[in-house]
Amino acid sequence: MGWFFFLWLAGQGGSPDALQHVRAGLEARKQRQVDTEIAEFRKATEIDPHLADAFVNLGAAFMEKRDYGAAIAPLKRALELSPDLPVAHQLLGYALLSQGYSAEALPHLQKVSALEAAGIAQLDTGQYPEAVASFTAVLAQRPDDPDLLYYLGHSSGLLSKSAIDTLLAKHPDSARAHQALAENYYVLRQMPQAETEFKEALRLRPELPGLHLELGQVYANSAQWPKAEEEFRAETKLQPGNGEAAYRLGSALLQQGKPQEALDALKRSNEVKPDMPETLYSLGKAASLTGDAPTAEKSWLRVVELEKDTSLAAQSHFGLAALYRKQGKTPQAQKEMQEFQKLQSTIGPPRSQ
Amino acid sequence: MTRRFSRRNFLNRAALAAGAPIFQIKPLRGVDFLLQNSPTPRKFLIETMPGGVALFDYNNDGLLDLFLVNGGKITEALHVPENFARSDARYWNRLYRQNRDGSFTDVTQSAGLANAGNGNYGMGVAVGDYDNDGLPDLFVTNYGRNTLYHNNGDGTFTDVTAKAGVAGGGWSVSAGFFDFDNDGHLDLFVTRYMDWDSDHNKICGGDWHTYCPPGTFPATTCLLYRNRGDGTFEDVSVPAGITAKKHRALGVAFADYDGDGFTDIFVSNDGMQQFLFHNNGNGTFTEVGLEAGVAFTADGKGLSGMGAVFQDYDNDGKPDIIATVLPREIYPLYHNDGGGLFTYQSLEAGLGSITSMSSGWGVGLEDFDNDGWKDLFVGQGHVLDNVQQIDASLSYKEVPLLAMNHQGRFERADSGVATPLSARGVAFGDINNDGWMDTVISTLGGPPVLLLNRGGENHWLSIKLRGTRSNRDGYGAVVHVNGQTRFATSAGSYLCANDKRLHFGLGSASKATVEVIWPSGETQVLKDVAADQFLEVAEPERL
Repeated sequence: MGWFFFLWLAGQGGSPDALQHVRAGLEARKQRQVDTEIAEFRKATEIDPHLADAFVNLGAAFMEKRDYGAAIAPLKRALELSPDLPVAHQLLGYALLSQGYSAEALPHLQKVSALEAAGIAQLDTGQYPEAVASFTAVLAQRPDDPDLLYYLGHSSGLLSKSAIDTLLAKHPDSARAHQALAENYYVLRQMPQAETEFKEALRLRPELPGLHLELGQVYANSAQWPKAEEEFRAETKLQPGNGEAAYRLGSALLQQGKPQEALDALKRSNEVKPDMPETLYSLGKAASLTGDAPTAEKSWLRVVELEKDTSLAAQSHFGLAALYRKQGKTPQAQKEMQEFQKLQSTIGPPRSQ
Repeated sequence: MTRRFSRRNFLNRAALAAGAPIFQIKPLRGVDFLLQNSPTPRKFLIETMPGGVALFDYNNDGLLDLFLVNGGKITEALHVPENFARSDARYWNRLYRQNRDGSFTDVTQSAGLANAGNGNYGMGVAVGDYDNDGLPDLFVTNYGRNTLYHNNGDGTFTDVTAKAGVAGGGWSVSAGFFDFDNDGHLDLFVTRYMDWDSDHNKICGGDWHTYCPPGTFPATTCLLYRNRGDGTFEDVSVPAGITAKKHRALGVAFADYDGDGFTDIFVSNDGMQQFLFHNNGNGTFTEVGLEAGVAFTADGKGLSGMGAVFQDYDNDGKPDIIATVLPREIYPLYHNDGGGLFTYQSLEAGLGSITSMSSGWGVGLEDFDNDGWKDLFVGQGHVLDNVQQIDASLSYKEVPLLAMNHQGRFERADSGVATPLSARGVAFGDINNDGWMDTVISTLGGPPVLLLNRGGENHWLSIKLRGTRSNRDGYGAVVHVNGQTRFATSAGSYLCANDKRLHFGLGSASKATVEVIWPSGETQVLKDVAADQFLEVAEPERL
């Protein structure tokens, strides 16, 4: 807390005795004698109870000693005497925040644009949108700060939960409420309940984009592929431009051993959302199963162009190795297998889901 | 043998016509066996792995008898050296002799098979006539010391493990007899799971308290014993190349996948790549799983391999491989493309939809409806007894999978089992000699379950091989019948030994052409063989 050393009198008048103690306190601060510092500043405030700078420095000394509770009173007094003193606002904001008085701390922190601390106070006081805005603003300056990343994630989650709670409280019978419940069940892997809620949402608003896609994923999770296919197909009709829906449809068709239909869906997915590695990998797989070796090769080669050190890249090398092996291209097959094994040793073997 | 037309057959046909399942659960009369796996809160991994079933005719009376491998007693206080109380009759393995009326009689004690040794926790069983005396012998695998029982021919067995030199050690799982050097004497392959003992057990899953995944424990190696032909075996695991790579092996199946006349070995490994040991024909093997295309899924993903079967599912004359695995993996089907290469074809064969949420163990490819296509049967049930609490979409107990083969594509059918089981071993055979394949399933903590085939209208042929120059059982022979192929073996599945007779469904054909390619290289063709009979084919003696 280096700023303590630079606190100095703001220039207003005071009794000479009081100012002498202030100077002694500042000298003690330089010597890192915090108890002497506190004693000197306290004497200054006793001699001149209207000397704001003495109170600020006393508060700062308590802060330096990490006695945040004791810092609050002198800092408050300083602001009574000099309401616009930025350092006092900042220190009082921190002191109050550290003692759990987040609501009281917030205006002081906002006054001096202490955004990170303000964000924490906003989080504590349930002002989630404001907290998200504060953390986002600070992250722009310090994008890799782990504390900031944590707080942004945490506040975003709480904001999301708060919105859903409001939705469920105010519109419990709406399609969106059922969708939200369904998504929650899905995360908890309670698939029968998720299915029921998604179906109810669809009954209420069959045209709502995304519902069929989500219900399809419920079925896919429990390997009910024909039902999953039906839902993904419905989503692709509703949203022909949704690349993910087409990809999911292709995957469901692949699982059912319908490679030609899967190939069509995956080509469509790649058209509307080009170069999605998952789509390209599955496209290669479907093409390979239908005997369309050129498309399989092209798709997998594109994956390894896009992805270098991922399991999808490893899988694509493995697919290419099998493809070349079948074609009798032994050197290429060996090269791809070596790439697969190399990736296995670095990123670990691809595991089934 | 003529086809029987009885009230039972009539009722079965009527039931089938009404859409009844192919199998019906029948009580195993006279069998009071309970598989004592002895689960404890310490979650010793061995508890969730037994037990084996053998269907074999030990007394050569023409009826399949039943051998059941038991686990053992485990307490929370278990420590090395472990004592599984196998001298207590509750923990014995059991041999049940089948009687003419279909009931069974417990002959364990009189057969000399009581008390499998207190230090052994039972796992699996293999059956083969290792001394070519015409009597099937038993090899029992354990966590501990394995046991070879010689069949004396008078209803008794003798423990010849020490003399034979096949005790092994560690944690053995599945095993099988086969003749890898074609010298006419059955050799023995034993899978071993991992380097584990009760003092080094771990509990996983955090608060869920579960059995640990295999990667938690060090890998180990399998065992290959060469039969010297004098009642003793030589451990050739190292010189034969079997131990070149460590593994976590559970299942084993045999076939000559590349048609070079030498039997190869597929080993299903848990939580890693699968192994295919190519028989080099000179006493050594090379592991070629990756090169052959059977190591991973089509996505290059490892598998939790458990059981395995190595037979021709699509009637192209070449043996294919199906292994059983854990949920969200899909049972891998590796189609034999010829030229030593396989292709992962689970999705094309229809297994994606019907197996991706199941945990499979014992597995067989048998023609249950005698239509000329081998169907798939799998005993199922998750490893973790509390899996449903962890993932509500999975179940500890499952009904078995019966998938009918429609010209190479499998479709789920009703197995006839409505109550889910914690199935492990599954053995296949024609228990009531009616020409329709039946099955026996072992269940953790429970009795074995007999599924009797209701039968139907199609014709069939059951072939028993009798080797002369080749091994007496004819294991390793390739038998073609009316466009179908079987590779003679009683091994495969998981922990089990199947009826060694080769079963063929003939559909509407009343006659068959039989071609037997013996391990000796001798090819024998029988034409106009009448359907619906148990045919013994003897290998021609050397001229």
